[in-house]
Amino acid sequence: MSDDTNIPPVMWEKLDRTAGAAEVITAPSLTYWQDVRRRLWANKPAVVSIAFIILLILSAIFGPMLSPFSYYEQNLKLANIPPVFETYRVTDSTGAETRFFLNASNFNLYEVDNSGHIVGIIRGERKDMLKKSQAFQFGDKIVVLDYSSLPARLVAPDGAVLQPEGWQWNMTYLFGTDQLGRDVLVRQLYGARISLTVAFVATLVNFFIGIFYGGIAGYIGGKTDAVMMRIVEIISTIPLTLYVILLMVVLDSGLISIVVAIGSVFWVDMARMVRGQILMLKQQDYVAAARTMGAGTGRILTKHLLPNSIGPILVTLTMLIPSAIFIESFMSFIGLGVTPPMASWGTLTSEAVETLRAYPHQLFFPAAAISLTMFAFNFLGDGLRDALDPRMRK
Amino acid sequence: MPLYVLQRLGLMLVTLFAIVTLTFFLMHAVPGGPFVSERMLAPEIEAALNAKFGLSDPIWVQYLNYLRSIMMFDLGPSFKYPGVSVNQMIADGLPVTLRTGLLAVICVIALGVPMGIVAALNRNKWPDTAVMMVATMGVAIPSYVIATVLLYVFALRLGWVPTFGLDDWRGYILPVLALSGFWVSFVARLSRSSLLETLDQDYMTTARAKGLKPGQVLFKHGLRNSLIPVVTVLGPVTANLLTGSFVIEQIFALPGIGRHFVLSITNRDYTAIMGITIFYAALLMVMILIVDLLYLWLDPRIKLGKQA
Amino acid sequence: MSVPMLSVRDLRTSFFSQRGEVQAVRGVSFDVHPGEILGIVGESGSGKSITCMSILRLLKSSGRIMGGEALFDGRDLFGLDEDAMRDLRGNDIAVIFQDPMTSLNPTLTVGEQVIETILRHRKVSRAEARARAIELFELVRIPSAAKRLKSYPHEFSGGMRQRVMIAMALSCDPKLLIADEPTTALDVTIQRQILLLLKELQSRLGMAVILITHDLGVIAEVTDRIVVMYGGMVMEQGSVRDLFAHPRHPYTQGLLSSVPDLRDDTHRRLTPIPGSPPDMVHPPAGCPFAPRCIHAMNQCAQAMPPLFTTATAPALAAGQGARCWLHHAEAPAVPGVNAPALEEAV
Repeated sequence: MSDDTNIPPVMWEKLDRTAGAAEVITAPSLTYWQDVRRRLWANKPAVVSIAFIILLILSAIFGPMLSPFSYYEQNLKLANIPPVFETYRVTDSTGAETRFFLNASNFNLYEVDNSGHIVGIIRGERKDMLKKSQAFQFGDKIVVLDYSSLPARLVAPDGAVLQPEGWQWNMTYLFGTDQLGRDVLVRQLYGARISLTVAFVATLVNFFIGIFYGGIAGYIGGKTDAVMMRIVEIISTIPLTLYVILLMVVLDSGLISIVVAIGSVFWVDMARMVRGQILMLKQQDYVAAARTMGAGTGRILTKHLLPNSIGPILVTLTMLIPSAIFIESFMSFIGLGVTPPMASWGTLTSEAVETLRAYPHQLFFPAAAISLTMFAFNFLGDGLRDALDPRMRK
Repeated sequence: MPLYVLQRLGLMLVTLFAIVTLTFFLMHAVPGGPFVSERMLAPEIEAALNAKFGLSDPIWVQYLNYLRSIMMFDLGPSFKYPGVSVNQMIADGLPVTLRTGLLAVICVIALGVPMGIVAALNRNKWPDTAVMMVATMGVAIPSYVIATVLLYVFALRLGWVPTFGLDDWRGYILPVLALSGFWVSFVARLSRSSLLETLDQDYMTTARAKGLKPGQVLFKHGLRNSLIPVVTVLGPVTANLLTGSFVIEQIFALPGIGRHFVLSITNRDYTAIMGITIFYAALLMVMILIVDLLYLWLDPRIKLGKQA
Repeated sequence: MSVPMLSVRDLRTSFFSQRGEVQAVRGVSFDVHPGEILGIVGESGSGKSITCMSILRLLKSSGRIMGGEALFDGRDLFGLDEDAMRDLRGNDIAVIFQDPMTSLNPTLTVGEQVIETILRHRKVSRAEARARAIELFELVRIPSAAKRLKSYPHEFSGGMRQRVMIAMALSCDPKLLIADEPTTALDVTIQRQILLLLKELQSRLGMAVILITHDLGVIAEVTDRIVVMYGGMVMEQGSVRDLFAHPRHPYTQGLLSSVPDLRDDTHRRLTPIPGSPPDMVHPPAGCPFAPRCIHAMNQCAQAMPPLFTTATAPALAAGQGARCWLHHAEAPAVPGVNAPALEEAV
């Protein structure tokens, strides 16, 4: 293994270290939080989720203000209007055109202007109950709606079947209207307000109870801890959903009741987690160091223990929000949620289920809203967990 | 081991006692109180309630009486339906609820675990992606949405299965799917991550270093360990399947306990709410106990009773 | 010397992470002869464990063998199919891992874990395998062997668990035993017992052993030859006697002077090696140790030194090799490395 190539003498001089040769090889070091942020940004579903959640919050706050409709305003003449429809056009002998669409579930005709705004319901002649048909007059032209066989047909006097022009998006009610003629979009946004408020407030209540309870148990330790944790153990074997239901029965439906009910019941996991963190961190040397330097209990708790357990707490919080949303909608669904005309995603879904057979599309928006929100919080929670502790990545 | 079981039984009794107490006083905290006669009770119910609880007695006497009748497995008469006892209501709905619940648990285990295993063994390949996509959807979409969508598509549109009732086996398909959807996904995700974690363990390397066949390594060394966390959640899963049945039974119009419960809530049938809650709690705790005993058998590290 | 039992040539292994390719092992070559104990020393991250896991082809999923060969009894391990490799593992080549706490399956009895190994490689009945397991437990001196077979790993102490691991490794009379830091996770008093047990069993059973460790004390006690690894490469190799008496690589010298010696009464100060191991995603072009080396020259930062032997470098003993530019014929004299040290000259 001899090396015969000539090596210039300068190479045998001592390595000049001032050139920073040693520094070059070390990778740039990031602080923990910089690293967390970098990992979180690299996680695409999490980033999309953050964007979605921010957008959702903004539209929940400002959306209802921008809408010309209110969440409680009813218009029974324009009930169950779909968000998209096929339009027809009839021209009478004077040349006046009428554009309208047929609601195939309630056999009503609605006039639509050229830009897609709803003008109103078109009054027809008397319904012929035997022949299952109804005549509509457009100027001097008569069109007969024949619903004796489905799908219903529109027949001109000469016997020709009217053909639709094409699909048109409902420009007045972007998401259509519900069975009471309320704008689905604004109710949807209003529902987002309620659902998110319930979720955030209930989560915060859980958070404070959990931190307080778990923090005390973990920090004091010993007998206090044993008793407190035994209580938690008992509570956690109780089926909590049942107790939310019971509390709702006692407190009567309403926004505050549901926040109280969810908030007072689901803090157990948080308490356990905080206690576990604190017990673990208590063993760490820097706590002992702080104690020897004479730091008091409060200071150690707030300056040393909590900041260091913030990661897992954050993840638990993110995961609590979707379950709070879910429980709220669940309660609303079985009739224990907010009271009408207030709306939450749960009540919207449950109202939509009532009209599922005739108007299945009404289920789409609340179901999509709640599912997407659950997706977003789940992805964000997963992303946060991975970013905070890469070892937990699976 | 017997000591551990005794301990657990003791804790269960304490918890049940707490539940009965909590439920009783919660129901008495209802504005006006559940047993107040201004609510226009049918006279025969009032008479029955009076006989049962002694409504004119002070509350703690009523409480003790209630405790006593609970200990004799008597949940009292219904508050709204004359001549019907809560026991009867439960007996009436229990078979349906248990059947759907049990089928759902089987579904969770038989679908969720294999899905997780397939995903973990094909990490970052298409089967993993597919399973994770389905599982993420299952976790994110609420069960009642799944239920209504299933109902709409398969019963109303396609007409493959009946929209309600359990007259033949096809009637069970949708309720069981809707009921177990979330937990199938949850268990799939859990068993995937658990198996991935297990595959990373040193003893798996040891098993491979001993020259064991891949099947031996996976089934003997990998699965047993990775299924432990799955078994631990089966208790809560059973609990949640049963409470989840409130909505599912409602949507599919199944005559189970959940439906009775929701009806009692809308009717404000306080004795029924109270009775069914207590019954549910007891049922769930028995389930959790059974699961925990199973867990004990799976993980020998706990046999010494060091952990509770 | 005899024909090597295991001959590793130019082994290169990489791991693929989000940061890029981590070149954990970069061209490692060494031989293991029948009946000898070879020590592989190095800091954590030097590639010593990865080298051995590569030989067994037991790398984690992100790791890949990028090149080189490993001849075991004339067969290239990297060319065997997975079935043949499985027949070899636990049978011809056995391993003991560092942490007996995590290396045993917590949910199976230790007996079962030994018996399944025997049943895998030997055509014997379960009862025979059990008898063999008892025999093995007695061999590694686990008291009341027959009874202990039914115990679970958590019912054993760390030292006892490592004995179980050893019994398991020896169950099929391997020709080569790879012990990856077998004593690191144990208490100091237990460490010595396990080490002496290993040494004794080695001489009794006549197998070859690769002992991976970062503990020079362990090396000095039991091994015949040493390979010193750093930055995924062999820095120096030779007999224990040569390397301890006159190490010829600045890294080996640094390692030795960072270890306290109780017999040393000169009150010499311990000198730690300043700096930290290189980043293996972007390994330095020259000698990996150059950034931390007190003798580093411009040449060291520029070009990778070859492994010099006594053929061209007179300062090296027979069988000794050192990867250091100071052993180049034109290199300046540095006492203790390529020229006699002051005390050696006396």
